[in-house]
Amino acid sequence: MTRPSLLRRKTGLGGTLGLPAMLLLALVGCSRQSDTIRIAVVSPMTGESAKMGEDISRAVQLAVEEWNQQGGVLGRRIILSIEDDRADPKDAVSAASKVVAQGAVGVIGHYNSSCTIPASNIYHEAGIPMITPASTNPMVTDRGYSSVFRTCGRDDQQGRVEADFACQALNAQRIAILHDKTTYGQGLAGEFRKNLTSTAEVVFAEGVTRGDKDFSAVLTSLKAASPDLVMFGGLYGEGGLIIRQMRDLGVAAAFLSGDGVYDPEFLRIAGSAAEGAYLSYAPSAEGIPAARKFLESYLKRWPEVGPYSLFAYDATNILLKGIELAGTTDGRKVAATIHTNSFPAAFGTVAFDAKGDPVVAPYVMWIVRDGKLVPLDGLPKPVHVETH
Amino acid sequence: MFLQQLINGITLGCVYALIALGYTMVYGILQLINFAHGEIYMLGAYLGVIGLALLQAIHFAPSSPLVLVLTLALFAALIAALWGITIERLAYRPLRGAGRLAPLIAALGISIVLQNFVMHSQGAREKIFPALWAGSGYIFGNTRVSAVQLLIIITSAVMMVGLTLLVQKTRIGTAMRATAQDRVMAQLCGIDANMIIAITFAIGSALAGIAGVLIAAYYGMINFYIGYQAGLKAFAAAVLGGIGTIPGAMLGGLLLGLVEAFGAGYLSSQYKDVYAFLILILFLIFRPGGLLGEQLAEKV
Repeated sequence: MTRPSLLRRKTGLGGTLGLPAMLLLALVGCSRQSDTIRIAVVSPMTGESAKMGEDISRAVQLAVEEWNQQGGVLGRRIILSIEDDRADPKDAVSAASKVVAQGAVGVIGHYNSSCTIPASNIYHEAGIPMITPASTNPMVTDRGYSSVFRTCGRDDQQGRVEADFACQALNAQRIAILHDKTTYGQGLAGEFRKNLTSTAEVVFAEGVTRGDKDFSAVLTSLKAASPDLVMFGGLYGEGGLIIRQMRDLGVAAAFLSGDGVYDPEFLRIAGSAAEGAYLSYAPSAEGIPAARKFLESYLKRWPEVGPYSLFAYDATNILLKGIELAGTTDGRKVAATIHTNSFPAAFGTVAFDAKGDPVVAPYVMWIVRDGKLVPLDGLPKPVHVETH
Repeated sequence: MFLQQLINGITLGCVYALIALGYTMVYGILQLINFAHGEIYMLGAYLGVIGLALLQAIHFAPSSPLVLVLTLALFAALIAALWGITIERLAYRPLRGAGRLAPLIAALGISIVLQNFVMHSQGAREKIFPALWAGSGYIFGNTRVSAVQLLIIITSAVMMVGLTLLVQKTRIGTAMRATAQDRVMAQLCGIDANMIIAITFAIGSALAGIAGVLIAAYYGMINFYIGYQAGLKAFAAAVLGGIGTIPGAMLGGLLLGLVEAFGAGYLSSQYKDVYAFLILILFLIFRPGGLLGEQLAEKV
């Protein structure tokens, strides 16, 4: 309905640009209809979380290019729209509406749970499958939308893994909890607290501001509570500064955090202060051929793989494979296909439960040793953290 | 704990004060709130990191971290001053006669341009500034003052004293004060007002650039986004102290730093930013001129 008027407007433009431009526009107009298919990745491309958006969109781009090299999906070339939600729920909703209006048949995104939740309403109404590579808040899938999936785990799973680790492996008695007040950070910290056994006592709990750089005041109070473990729910930027400023103030407590902090940047920001920090994250992807191939081609083009790059790569492959298996771009049929199949992915085989969560959400503990993140094997032994 | 929070607050306050000086000087002369000023501070932090890379490229290895940081601060101050002059020339001078709203909007625009310019040219990722004094500091009982904190406090104090002397005792300072009082009259007396305004921007930007380098050395991590919040806080500090007065900006900065540190330390860190802006609101209601400002009924 809108196409003819659009074309008319473009012809007017073509008149000023000359015949070649007109022909080009005509070509684009044709190809859009028949032999291409559009998917979108929506993540924070600007603003505070822009780095994460970059990680995610690059991985999606790579997956799409690989599919296109092998002839696309359903014999149609895949076009990728990269949209920016600026890590802001309001922008997330408008980006979602834009993507739907563009005619995307599937969406990878968003990064922040606080963006994914409102945006998924729009995808759900439009019947477009959405797979988030990074939103771990339970609410994302707990609302029972059949077309909403995630390739990462959930905060309640991760919180439990961390609490078990803190109580059993580390035998922490006095625990301090910090979170960054975001849906993710506060959610993870809350789940962690809920799952602590009675042997552990929470001696300090506080929220800090995302984007803040100075935590010396809150850490001075934390020090006065003399905890033996500090758990942080939040992202690598604040996490790196917190552990660094903690050590500067002479807090010797062990440091425990989650997938939001699992990032090479964390190691760089914290420097030697990161030594001995525990992080829960997905198991190592090394040794899985799909992951190795991805890592190689990613690193050929960009300097570093982010924590959600692999999840985003998996999400894209699952979406496109789902379309292929369904044999149609009808969103509801694609979603049903994704629900009923299992998919080979970089983190092992992925199958989804009725809610859209991965059936196996394996979290394992990692530790920083000699400036590198290494997985802790078996039941981890407590590591004594020294002050420096 | 009290002493520790005091030191935390003074360190933070000194940085706010350095940035607030730029706001207050520009406001004093042009009645313009230069919202791009926070981004100059962010540029300063990036210049610190870039300067470090340049020094490494020419194999210049200073004898001590102190010399290194001061070299970087000087470099950042110079380039930031050039940025300040350029922005004034391109965005504000053409709007000099256009009332007060147009330059304000231009300032907001410049701030967005600078932020995105840095994001695209330097990348969205955090830049890391190496820890130069890892672990070194002075311990009194349970209180620690790190070497960087000490450096920030001393450098800021020197800068503020220097600025006060410049404004009170030199010919340029006299010309600046005259221009602030009445630009037309100053011009009639032979003062090149445009030159004085450019100098004001240069000095304010240089101070913000130095603050940026100090913060990069303090936290060890910067990104293209730090200018926004720091700019807002420094603006609050300038208003708190009485915008347009130089001692007011220093006092306001220190006060804000202390309020934040004690608020976060003794009440709750969840509302750290709330304390700063709550104080700002209270001041705007009960003493709109600020601590040291004149009691003028003027909108800020």
